[in-house]
Amino acid sequence: MKIKRLVALLAAATLTAGMVSGCGSEKKEKTTEAGTTATANNADGEDSTGSNASAQGEYSDDEIVDFTAFFAVPGSEINDGNEIQEIIAKKTGVRVKETWLAGQTESEAVGTIIAGGEYPDFINASDSMSALYDAGALIAWDDYIDKYPNIKNYYGEDWEKFRREDGHIYWMNPFWHILNEDSTTTHNDEAFWIQVRVLEWANYPKIETMDEYFDLLRDYAKANPTMEDGTQIIPYTILCEDWRYFCLENAPEFLDGYPNDGSVIVDPKTETVIDYNTTPTAKKYFQKLNEEYKAGIVDPQSFTQTYDEYIAKLSTGAVLGMIDQWWDFAFTVNDVFKQQGLDEKGCNYVPLGLTIEKGMENQWHTEGGTLNNSSGIAITVDCKDVDKAFQFIDTLLSEEMQVLRFWGVEGVDYNVDENGVFYRTEEMRNKAADTTYKADHMCTYSYFPSYSHGTLSDGKNAVIPGDQTSEFYESLAEPVKKCFEAYGVKTYPQLIGSTDKHGIWFPMYSYSNNMTTETPGGMAWQKMGETKHEWLPQVVMADDFEAKWTEYMDAYSKCKPEDFIAEMQEELERRIEAYSK
Amino acid sequence: MAKKSNIYKPKINMRELKRQRVLIFWSILFVIYGFIFYYLPVGGWIMAFQNYKPRKGFLHSDFVGLAKFKFLFEDATFLRVIRNTLAMGVLNLVTTFIMAIVFAILLNEVKNVLFKKGVQTISYLPHFLSWIIVTAILHDALSSTGIVNEVLLKFGFIDKSIEFFSHKEYFWWIVAFANVWKETGWNTIVYLSAITAIDTTLYEAASVDGAGRWAKIWNITLPGIRPTIIVLLLMNIGNVLNAGFEVQYLLGNDVIKSVSDTIDIYVLKWGISQNDYSLGSAAGIFKSFVSIVLIVIANAIAKRTTDERLY
Repeated sequence: MKIKRLVALLAAATLTAGMVSGCGSEKKEKTTEAGTTATANNADGEDSTGSNASAQGEYSDDEIVDFTAFFAVPGSEINDGNEIQEIIAKKTGVRVKETWLAGQTESEAVGTIIAGGEYPDFINASDSMSALYDAGALIAWDDYIDKYPNIKNYYGEDWEKFRREDGHIYWMNPFWHILNEDSTTTHNDEAFWIQVRVLEWANYPKIETMDEYFDLLRDYAKANPTMEDGTQIIPYTILCEDWRYFCLENAPEFLDGYPNDGSVIVDPKTETVIDYNTTPTAKKYFQKLNEEYKAGIVDPQSFTQTYDEYIAKLSTGAVLGMIDQWWDFAFTVNDVFKQQGLDEKGCNYVPLGLTIEKGMENQWHTEGGTLNNSSGIAITVDCKDVDKAFQFIDTLLSEEMQVLRFWGVEGVDYNVDENGVFYRTEEMRNKAADTTYKADHMCTYSYFPSYSHGTLSDGKNAVIPGDQTSEFYESLAEPVKKCFEAYGVKTYPQLIGSTDKHGIWFPMYSYSNNMTTETPGGMAWQKMGETKHEWLPQVVMADDFEAKWTEYMDAYSKCKPEDFIAEMQEELERRIEAYSK
Repeated sequence: MAKKSNIYKPKINMRELKRQRVLIFWSILFVIYGFIFYYLPVGGWIMAFQNYKPRKGFLHSDFVGLAKFKFLFEDATFLRVIRNTLAMGVLNLVTTFIMAIVFAILLNEVKNVLFKKGVQTISYLPHFLSWIIVTAILHDALSSTGIVNEVLLKFGFIDKSIEFFSHKEYFWWIVAFANVWKETGWNTIVYLSAITAIDTTLYEAASVDGAGRWAKIWNITLPGIRPTIIVLLLMNIGNVLNAGFEVQYLLGNDVIKSVSDTIDIYVLKWGISQNDYSLGSAAGIFKSFVSIVLIVIANAIAKRTTDERLY
């Protein structure tokens, strides 16, 4: 009798176990059938689009759908009830709760989401998009693109470049497009940055090489060892946390006069891929850093600081120069400078287009858009209402929304003069730099597609305030204006003096970013990254540079970089073949 | 721990089962629990022998045999993380273990009850801090402008502040120190309770015989807590490969990666960041395997040299 009960219990246990594994396999099925789910949604989506399009009125509170979005980049969350977010919600019927990367690396965050199997409605996994694709987490866009004109027009023919190996499109890079005429005023790229006060102090010299750059930093730091408040000056710092170590590692490609292909140099004459890690320029660059490190010019905390510590350090105004991408520091740091009054003391950074030898052309600045097909915003299989999601992206791309997102509300964040030109008062500008105000009021949905640069169809106004010629110049701090005058330029790109001649294959990083360890080249790429992460700081800090460099080169060649280069060469040839039609 | 001959061994028959039905019912609940939460997940180990892709699932991923293990042992990084894990594990074990015993004995010698309780409470409070807080404190204290450098500079031990986190030679010791600081107080609790269980008449008798404090510690206290020491040591040896994840993850950086990464970080990096669940599982299996071997060896040694052992 009792044995029977025991058996029954055992049977129950097996059943429970069966159920648990049963749940697991169900989940799998769902993900593998991503494609079918998408088409099913599409079928019943057709009539709903029609009705939505006709409804031009505002959505009421209970009609508004709440979506979630995760972006695998650091960002600041806006407050609930944000004013512009509510306006957009009323007009589009969608409110998106955005969350950003915090305390993890991007690949860990994305890996955790995949392992958990629950996705937000929208996701931009940055360089880990292929992981989501491999996990079958994304909805194919193919059937939707044609239905939404703004989405379709954003890339037009170039949509083809987003096709993955299975022939479908899964994401849309949100930053590429320029609306109408290009009016870029900022250098939204990488450069050797320098505070304007340093240039002013030296009477605006022409700085072309690293030697001149570091000499200037040294002289200035010697003459002005502290800030007004007694903070010690840091002549040069290097950010090298996680993927941001590009601030340390990729300068050799620019110093040789090539554009930001990111992972390799492409020689346009021979159409071959060159490894910039082993060029004589690379050695010279790191040797220079090594000398300056020993001379106390390079911040000794460089290799252990986190990104937050780095931004905090820049925000004090004590750092004279560094390599970075404009978008990586300027938005935060410039706002702090403005609030602290450091901008009027000449702490703002301007870019210098350095090269390894004097008189070379540089290509630090990229003109036009950069089509990075390796990442973008995607809609996941867990999305509550796929059609609504696409419609939301489409509406966000309208000029009305573009103005609302980046200029704000007319009369509150900007005014319109009698000629129809947008302008801001000083007060409005200060408010736009105030983090609390921004969190309560502004909602840019910055990682959703937008026009990063260009002009509205009225032909008078730029799509973002920073590009409005009058607005741009007015908002510059006095020392920056003086610097621009001294060099006879009007914008940042003019100052860095770039001549942009990148080829049709540009940028090659959009391929290497998505490499996986499945292929020999991808494995080499992974190991090269690890090796560089580990060795480059040591090379810079070495007592005996030559010896360390040899050791580093030894470790580097063990990663089989030739496998990586071979795969990049293959991709280069594929692109030339495919794009030059 | 008792001798085998003393154990009451009833015959297993229907009557006996009926008599123990309540006990059997409750223990079966735990067996089910253990099965679901400890044994079922082990089924995931199959991944280590496949080229697992979430899209294809367990059933359709390619079977690759021992290829993942082969990759592991050819990967210099993996061999290095094993070294780091073992080194930090042993260092942590030795330091926290010794410190806990020493601290427990010292506390036991304090005769002022109020002071003793006060010290004990303060000393085990850090146990309740999460690692993120402890590492933040360490990071600040050991930064180039932190208190440690300031003190060293003030007293003239050094003339330039030391970047503790960009020198490989300090890292293991920093981790060991952090563990000692955080866990010593907590670990003493067990020893203190073991000490209170020692018959006080022994101490009185020793006093009569003219034994001093040292003699009493050496001849009564230490032998009295020996069983506890050995059991805890055995359990900790099985844990050597759990040298930590949070501390190394939070304190490590690119410069000292080669000494700071542990097996757990390696598993995270490959399993989650690189989406190679197979390789991650393989590394995990290796870790479990080594832990089991370690505990079996330690137990065998304990069995041979003393009466104490885990099983």
